[in-house]
Order: sequence, then C-alpha cells, then structure tokens
Amino acid sequence: MEYKSSDISSAYLRSRKIPSTACAGCGLGMNHKIVIQAIKELKLAVEDIIWGTSIGCAGRQTFGTWKGDGVAGTHGRIYAIARGLRVVLPPNKELILTVGDGDAFGIGLNHLIHAARSNADMTVIVNDNLGYQSTGGQYGWTTPQGSKTDSSPYGMFEHNLMSEGMDVLHILKGAGATFLARHVSMDGAWAVDTVKKAILNKGFSLVHMTFPCPTNFASKELGSRDPVKIFNWIKNHAAPMGQEKDDTIWVTGIYHDASNSRPEFSRLIHETVEKIRRTGTL
Amino acid sequence: MKRFLETGNFAITEGAILVGCRFFAGYPITPATELAEAMSLRLPQEGGIYLQAEDECAAMHLCIGASLGGYKAMTATSGPGFILYADPYGWALGCECPVVVLNSGRVGPVSGITGAPGQGEFYLMRYPTHGGNFETICLAPNSAQECMAMTVEAFYLSERFRMPVSVLADQLITDGFEDISVPENDAEMKEMGFRVWPRKIHQGPDFYPVTDELDIPPVVLGQNTGALCSDWTPTEEGYDIEEVEAHHKHAYRLIYKVRNNRHIFNHLYEKVHMDDDPDLVVVSYGTPSRVVNTAVKKARSNGLKVGALRLINLWPFPDEHFSLNTKYLVVELNWDGELVREVQRAAPKDSDVHFLGTCGDLPTVPRLTETFEKILKGQPLQRIGWEVEAW
Ligand code: SF4
Repeated sequence: MEYKSSDISSAYLRSRKIPSTACAGCGLGMNHKIVIQAIKELKLAVEDIIWGTSIGCAGRQTFGTWKGDGVAGTHGRIYAIARGLRVVLPPNKELILTVGDGDAFGIGLNHLIHAARSNADMTVIVNDNLGYQSTGGQYGWTTPQGSKTDSSPYGMFEHNLMSEGMDVLHILKGAGATFLARHVSMDGAWAVDTVKKAILNKGFSLVHMTFPCPTNFASKELGSRDPVKIFNWIKNHAAPMGQEKDDTIWVTGIYHDASNSRPEFSRLIHETVEKIRRTGTL
Repeated sequence: MKRFLETGNFAITEGAILVGCRFFAGYPITPATELAEAMSLRLPQEGGIYLQAEDECAAMHLCIGASLGGYKAMTATSGPGFILYADPYGWALGCECPVVVLNSGRVGPVSGITGAPGQGEFYLMRYPTHGGNFETICLAPNSAQECMAMTVEAFYLSERFRMPVSVLADQLITDGFEDISVPENDAEMKEMGFRVWPRKIHQGPDFYPVTDELDIPPVVLGQNTGALCSDWTPTEEGYDIEEVEAHHKHAYRLIYKVRNNRHIFNHLYEKVHMDDDPDLVVVSYGTPSRVVNTAVKKARSNGLKVGALRLINLWPFPDEHFSLNTKYLVVELNWDGELVREVQRAAPKDSDVHFLGTCGDLPTVPRLTETFEKILKGQPLQRIGWEVEAW
C-alpha cells in the first residue's frame, strides 16, 4: 500500500484532532488510514463526503477528524440520522460512517438493518475492538467465545453474532445490504481496495474491520497490553476466505457484492415522489 | 380561504405544508396514526417525503437527518412513542436542530387506553430527555383550527430558536371533525396570524456561539461549511470537548435563548372573564378548556365571579398569569395532578389551589359548575372512595 500518513492527513484530516486521543498502541488508526487511503485513491474531495460517527472508541476517536462536515449520533442512532440525511442530500454526496461493534451490532442493529433494507447509499465501517472498550472492556456481540472481559470474568459463554456458524453479515445480507465485507486492520492495501468498492456501491455497504485494543481487550484476554501481542493474535486468527484454518475467527474478504443491483433508497423515494407529484398516482 | 369539515390531523398536515415542511417520519400509533396517513397522502403531492420508521426513536432521528440536510421536518406520536423520542429529543436540543414534534395524548401510563384522551405528559414535555441544562418550548392547542395555527407557530419558533418545538394535543382534538379554514396565500396567512421563518444555513465557523441571541441559522450539512455536530459537549466550532466550563457555556445558551426571549411566544394564552379579578380562576389547557369555558360563561350568567385562564404556551411555564391572590381550580385530564403543581408553585403563597381531574373523558359542565360553587362557598370537594377530587 502506498501512502504517506502526513500527505493524507493534511489533505483530509483536521490537525486539531490528529493525532487522536486513542490509547497508545490502539489499532483504530490503522482502520482509519485504510478508509482515508480509499477515499484518496478514489480521488474524492473533502466536500464530497459527509462523515458520520457513533459513540464508543471508534466513534469518538474519528468524530471531527474529517476536514469536511461531520455528525455524531448517540448510541446506535447514527444509521437513522444518516438515512434521514441521505434522502435529502444530493446523490453525489457520499456518506461514510465510522462506528463501533457495540453501536452497530448491539444497540443500533435495528436501525442498521433498516438502512440495509432500504439500500440507503452509505458506507458503514464497523471498527471492531471486540467489545465495549471505551466503558472499560465488557463483552459485545462479536467477542470471541471464551474471552475474558470485565463482564465475562469466567469467559464469554453466550451465543453471539460471530460464533457457531452465526454471522452478523448473514443478517445484513438477508436484510438487503448490497455490499458486505470483512477485514482485519492488518489487511492494508487489500482492505483499501475493499473499502473503495464499498464506497463505489450506490447503496448500503458495510465493511466489518477488526482492530487491536491493547488497553482493555488484550489486557484481560491476553494478560498483556503489549500492542505487538494483540496485533499478532488478531493476525493469526484471521485468514482470507478459502484459506481458513481450525482456529480462524475472522474470515476476510468480500462476502457479498451485489453493488448497484437494486434501486437505492433516496433515488427510489425521489423518483416515486416526483411521479406522484406529476400524475397523482404511482 | 378554503373551508373544510375535517380533523385536527388534517389541519396539522395542511399547516405544516403551508410553512414549507417537506419531510415527515412517523411510526403507526393511535391516535397519531391518522396524521402519518394524512402526511403520506399529501406530502408527495407537494414534492415532499413521507417515511415510515422502524420505531419512534428512528422516526425522530430521521427527522433530525432531514433537518441537518436543510429540510423542515416533523414527526408525531402519542405517549408510548413519545417516550422513545427521549434520545433524539436530547440530540436535537443539544445540537440546536429544528424539528417539530406532535404528541397526541392518550390515557397512560404505558399503553393504557389507546382511544381516549389524556394529559399525562405535562411534565414530560418540559423534560422530554435526560440531563437537564435546557429549556423546552411546548404549545397546546384546543381545537382543530388551533392545531393548524400551533403547528405553523411551532415551525416558526423551531427555526428562530434553533431547537425542537413540541405541540401537545390529545385524541379528541386530533381525531375530532371540526370546521377548518385553510389560507390560500400569504395575505390570508398573515390575516390568520401565521408566522413563517425560512430555513437558513449557518456558514460557520462558530456553529455553537455562546449567546442567548435568536435567529442564528442552524447547522446544515452538505454545504461545504465544515460543520460539526455531535451528542457531546461542543466547542463553539462543534468539536467535542470534556470540560465543565465549555458545558456551562453550552447550557447557558440552551437555557437562556429560551428564557430571555419568551416575549416571542408568551402571548399564546386565552383569558375569559378575567378582567375583574375573579374570585375563582379556572386553569386548563387543551380539550378540557372547551368545557371549562362553557362552564365559566354559565357560572357568570348565574352571578358567580369566575374566570377562565387557558394556557397555550405551556413551557416555559408562564408564571406571569398567576399574580392574583385568589382561588384557583386546575382542570386536567389526569388523576395525579400535574399542571396543578406548577400553578401552586406560581400562585401567591396563600392562594387556594384546587384540582379536578378526569381521564379518558372530559369533565361535564354540571360537575364543573358544582365544583365552582363548592370552592366559592369554602365547602370541601367530594371524596367518594377512590374517586378523589381534591389534590
Ligand atoms: S480502549 Fe482500546 S479501542 Fe479504545 S482507544 Fe484504547 S486501545 Fe483503542
């Protein structure tokens, strides 16, 4: 992957917010860079994108970083705000949301499903730190089974959305998402390519991207805050689709690409409204 | 002027369209469903957008999104849905995002009775979200025609104050059929006292100035202004900040832009037979006020010195109407007494404040008349088992 952090920083990011206040060694910045690099490679300008964020580490650390317009919603609600915004924005504006796993797959899942159902043109990057880390490290809906967290001191034993063959991406596919992919933050240029495809889809796209949280997840599960340990742990448990091993947790690559296959939400609404306005009927 | 025999929901829809509302999001709930239905029919005819949300929380968030995109937006619900607005209402207050919210009251708590009118959200309209550090504006019409007028006014105030403004109605007003006049042009709107404020766009960079001033344009995204808006305490430019002093400045604006500019809307009340310092002032809002007005006029013709005060601007509470040291009777569609608490607080210390509550049904004129007489004679109010009239 060819990028110089300083170049993209000055072109797209606000110096006031970069570097962010994320913990030392946090992997969120890798995900953030992947998204910014994708934007750069697509030659999008600052004014082409409206950036949305959620709460939690992923939301708070990326809010206000984009040089252009930014909006943050409360827990799980940014998908509903984004859908309202999408339908009144000019179609050439891109909506990119950087959110967390708790926000997207827990409290916001209903809104997320309806964003997928309506195929609203937005790109959701779910930055997964494997639980609720900004509140100190409780398990979430993608926390690997058996992991020790502050709220699963005996190991996470519940069924969740990433275990026993279940997959939150299946739910979103069933709900109508037109682009779905999974990566880990070490995937670099490959993940950049995927995010580019996600942005180019005129419809609902989601890229699930796991990143290392040394402070909370790793300190409890691995007993170490050493960023290298959690970095390697995630890397070793990730494998590209078709190359899975027995201990693979994150199967990476594009899960579902039905880009531009069905009408986009705001286009559908506007075309319908226009027809009713002119003819009084559908 | 066009005249119709129609419902309050029709009046609200036409009022919203008149002032340029082109976005409505709602979730079916009795008795606000008919408003959503009316919007789904009328908005597309005007080039506007109707969206049915996955729940009420999403409905108001969709409105926030549309408002952030520069549209005038509205949502409507009833008590069980209004409670799900707590989250977006707070967002819209904090981010100073104009949205109009209608709550058509029914009988609670929880699902209660769906098809009967209630007034159990008097305080909820004041505190529709958590955290404090804000003022809210709430208007309460008592007829279909006034539903239109207050919807128009709510849009006007929400743009000028940069905030959500609520209209509190009840099932009788929104569903009942009445004679309604719809203005057809600006001159007729002016004649009816309708005020309109266009959507303006903040150009930045100080999106959240520390001032009590009105008419600061709201944040609109997609205009290349670099606007930032979030649920966190904002700096003046909109960056998130964890700092008590910044939050104090933010709260100052949210509280005092309303408190210091009440003159814009505190003329919204109705007084009947209130010029001669009545011996008994009957206080109410919404539908019960219609029975109260009839009972007060009848009592006057029977020689009782009774007056009626109807609040339209409910919040911020108009304390100025309660300077008279006299007897007060507060009539509400609930049994716990809500408005009466504010009247007791605002009235002179030694004034005599009484409460008459009904719920699901309006009080009758004979019952009101009997209550007026008892209070004026200093007799105790009736208590029959669980039917307690005294508060
Ligand atoms: S708690 Fe974890 S995810 Fe959050 S900023 Fe720190 S290292 Fe990153």
